Amino acid sequence: MRFLPHTESDRQAMLTRIGATQMSDLFEDIPEQLRISPQSLDLPGALSEAAIVRKFTQAAERNRHALNTRCFLGGGTYHHFIPSVVDYIISRGEFLTAYTPYQPEISQGTLQTLFEFQTMVARLTGMEVSNASMYDAATSVAEAALMAKRVTRKNRVILANGVHPKYCEVTTNYLSHLEGSCVRLPQSGYATDLAQTIAAIDENTACVIVQYPDFYGTVYDLAQLRIACDTHKCLMVVAFADVSAFALIDPPGHYGADIAVGSGQALGIPMGFGGPHLGLFTCKQKYLRQMPGRVCGLTHDVNGQRGFVLTLSTREQHIRREKATSNICSNQGLMCTAAATYLTLMGDAGLETVAKHSAAALQSLIDQLPSHVTAASGPHYNETVITFSDQHTRDQFLSRAHAANIFAGIALETIDSSAERAEASLLIATTEMIEPDDISALVQLLEACQ
Amino acid sequence: MTHANQYSAKAGLMHEEPLVFEHAHEKATSINLPGVTGDMPASLAAFSRKKAANIPGLSEPETVRHFVRLSQWNHSIETGFYPLGSCTMKYNPRVNENIARLPGFAHVHPYQPEDSVQGLLESLYEVQGWLGEITGFPHVTLQPAAGAHGEWTGLMMIRAALQAKGEGHRNKVLVPDSAHGTNPASASLCGMETIELPSLPNGQLDLEALKQHLDGNTAALMLTNPNTAGAFESNIVEICRLVHEAGGFVYGDGANLNALVGKARPGDMGIDCLHINVHKTFSTPHGGGGPGGGPVAVCEALAPFLPTPHIRACKHGYHLVQEHPQSIGSVLGSIGQVGVLIRAAAYIAAFGRDHLHKIAEDAVLNANYMLARLKAHYHVPFPGLCKHECLLTDEWQNRDGVKTLDIAKRLIDLGFHPMTVYFPLIVHGAMLIEPTETESKEMMDAFCDAMVEIAEQCKNGETELLHDAPLLPMRRRLDETAAARKPTLVWHGEV
Repeated sequence: MRFLPHTESDRQAMLTRIGATQMSDLFEDIPEQLRISPQSLDLPGALSEAAIVRKFTQAAERNRHALNTRCFLGGGTYHHFIPSVVDYIISRGEFLTAYTPYQPEISQGTLQTLFEFQTMVARLTGMEVSNASMYDAATSVAEAALMAKRVTRKNRVILANGVHPKYCEVTTNYLSHLEGSCVRLPQSGYATDLAQTIAAIDENTACVIVQYPDFYGTVYDLAQLRIACDTHKCLMVVAFADVSAFALIDPPGHYGADIAVGSGQALGIPMGFGGPHLGLFTCKQKYLRQMPGRVCGLTHDVNGQRGFVLTLSTREQHIRREKATSNICSNQGLMCTAAATYLTLMGDAGLETVAKHSAAALQSLIDQLPSHVTAASGPHYNETVITFSDQHTRDQFLSRAHAANIFAGIALETIDSSAERAEASLLIATTEMIEPDDISALVQLLEACQ
Repeated sequence: MTHANQYSAKAGLMHEEPLVFEHAHEKATSINLPGVTGDMPASLAAFSRKKAANIPGLSEPETVRHFVRLSQWNHSIETGFYPLGSCTMKYNPRVNENIARLPGFAHVHPYQPEDSVQGLLESLYEVQGWLGEITGFPHVTLQPAAGAHGEWTGLMMIRAALQAKGEGHRNKVLVPDSAHGTNPASASLCGMETIELPSLPNGQLDLEALKQHLDGNTAALMLTNPNTAGAFESNIVEICRLVHEAGGFVYGDGANLNALVGKARPGDMGIDCLHINVHKTFSTPHGGGGPGGGPVAVCEALAPFLPTPHIRACKHGYHLVQEHPQSIGSVLGSIGQVGVLIRAAAYIAAFGRDHLHKIAEDAVLNANYMLARLKAHYHVPFPGLCKHECLLTDEWQNRDGVKTLDIAKRLIDLGFHPMTVYFPLIVHGAMLIEPTETESKEMMDAFCDAMVEIAEQCKNGETELLHDAPLLPMRRRLDETAAARKPTLVWHGEV
């Protein structure tokens, strides 16, 4: 077997050294009735490397993907451009095959990269500190709610209507067996209802969670919410689905968010049918010790040279066990390396170009929509809801688009069944990968489906 | 603050590399991107970002050099032995990397129509079945993103099953004191109370203590088998029987599955629910701390509560079940760490029915070999056969004023990554060594030689060398206390 270095004589020599005569001696501590004989499992036979390549290539080729279609899908996952360098760096064995940097003297590569990642994420979101990642956006929102409960010692969590339904579901699950309540505000148009959100805050509220830009792509002013949170001494948690927005619009930190969490998938990470992605978790410095997850900090070695270590581990499960801030340990490390590489390559200018293209593509699409389709009103970044006259027209359009290799949008009711006229609507997103030609193709089809 | 000496070779190929923020030049603006050009939509103008983010922006060649130089400061499986106990640091086949990057896997959107992702769903359905077969369970969810996430998911299912039986008051989770810290932390996250079970002097679960604590409030026992001392819990069948008799479930922590793969199945032992660390047993790369994957395998009694979405095979192909009446719902924003799961599938496919048992055989052989070579030099707290990892302590070296940390740091100077230190907590100065099946005898001998050399140095009173270690890497012992006391987590310029 090609991954096993031993020869039979190695094995014999080792068994002799152990004082055993045969391999089965080493498994004698497993009760006999529990042992299974070799080759008794119902699995396919071993495949050669060539056969593995063939098998999985055939499976992969049965899928359509963003590189051979026109992809207008969003809803938390976006087809942004990924420079080749990003994949090269994370393919390097020194990053790819290292463990969590528990021995800092021989892990400075990962650690300095994490420190750079934390710094760039904090800068992009306008927040004071960032941790070194969470699983994904949905679980980050859930952990933010838990953190807000710890910080405020209050128990009520409010989820505004514009928060991604999946983030809401996961958060509700995380909180379901704990004290207190998780209130999900009812749907109200294709935008966050700030008045409703502010009215829902009371003295027992630990935090209000809003999404910005929200699930429907709407951008709105969070200043009033900040005031309301101060009045009721609750935390303002801002979630986001496409962090690329913050190169263009005011980031959560600008509005004084206490915690800002969301997806970092836009930062050089492929869509991958949902994972592995990257959860970003940022907050104000003063709440640092209640933050979940790994963090990397600056320090010095015995010679006074600058170096980095994982720090604040007294919050964590391996020290605090049942009293830890979370059960999370290492999670998306390599995705942080991808994001750090992406951000370094792009810089402010590149990020701004990505964001401008993404927003301009949506605007161009909206400008060209035929009159039988309406786009949600208000400012949008790169995602919006378009509504047809009825479900039949929408579905006919969707299936024709599908046939033409266009993933034209997400049927809204598949994610958000309670939204107004969801069955006649599509959630539609654009990135810098959308070119004028893609928009023309989509518009032509829309015109043909009245 | 870029200085020539930050780039110069200090000794041979040892180099310095500044922070990306310290590379002193104007930001690059050379990125070319496709897309629609045009100004920011007028409606967004009011929200225009006022203060630049100040993200560096290096040119492509500089970016590559920066991160390649940083990479060279890492120890990794591809550069050396990495015997971290309970972490299963095995070789990560390169072909798996190529497969996971195929556009039909990597560039697929989670909300694409099902009929456009049948190849991917089939691969996931297949690996789901393989994981169930290998562990002896009829059902598997691929959704949990990591081991700890799997623990929480499993306990949520157990909780839901108890509630469905009208036994929602069962709130206690029994956890041996040898368990990973994630076990009690996951129980807390489910709103359950952890009862710590003391281990026997031989490191095994204490059946009497278990019986004492089992009662009408027991929700589950969380058990790692082989345990974190590297030994198989030989009473496992009796343990499961007792827990079931008391009306509880047995949660299996699959962290140590590498010792059993192809040799014995947790599902056959009476365990009800098990998470599988695919980044350990099935060789998906650790990535400097993830991404991993923590699929959970369950018995029939827990199947109704599996998370949604869930892949099902039907007449017309593969289908994602979005809603199920008793499901605990979603535990992640997606159906799982798909790219990780594809790599795991490829690892299993390479061994197949023919060779899968050789994973456990060579892993166990290697650990016992290292134990045999080291037991004359280091204290072995629980003598006897070990499984895939062996546990030593610093008891003998303590007499010479040397502790586990010193031994670990000295190993760095000798060219190795240290073993897991100070875990499990049930022995003082633990050193947990897990070689895995992909290490050669030559490499293990070299590591053992180094360990023997260190033990000799202790005996000979050459302890200063050990206290000062490591001397050779580009950074020496780092001040972790200072890092925690006044945390600097983002760069604000030199202070």
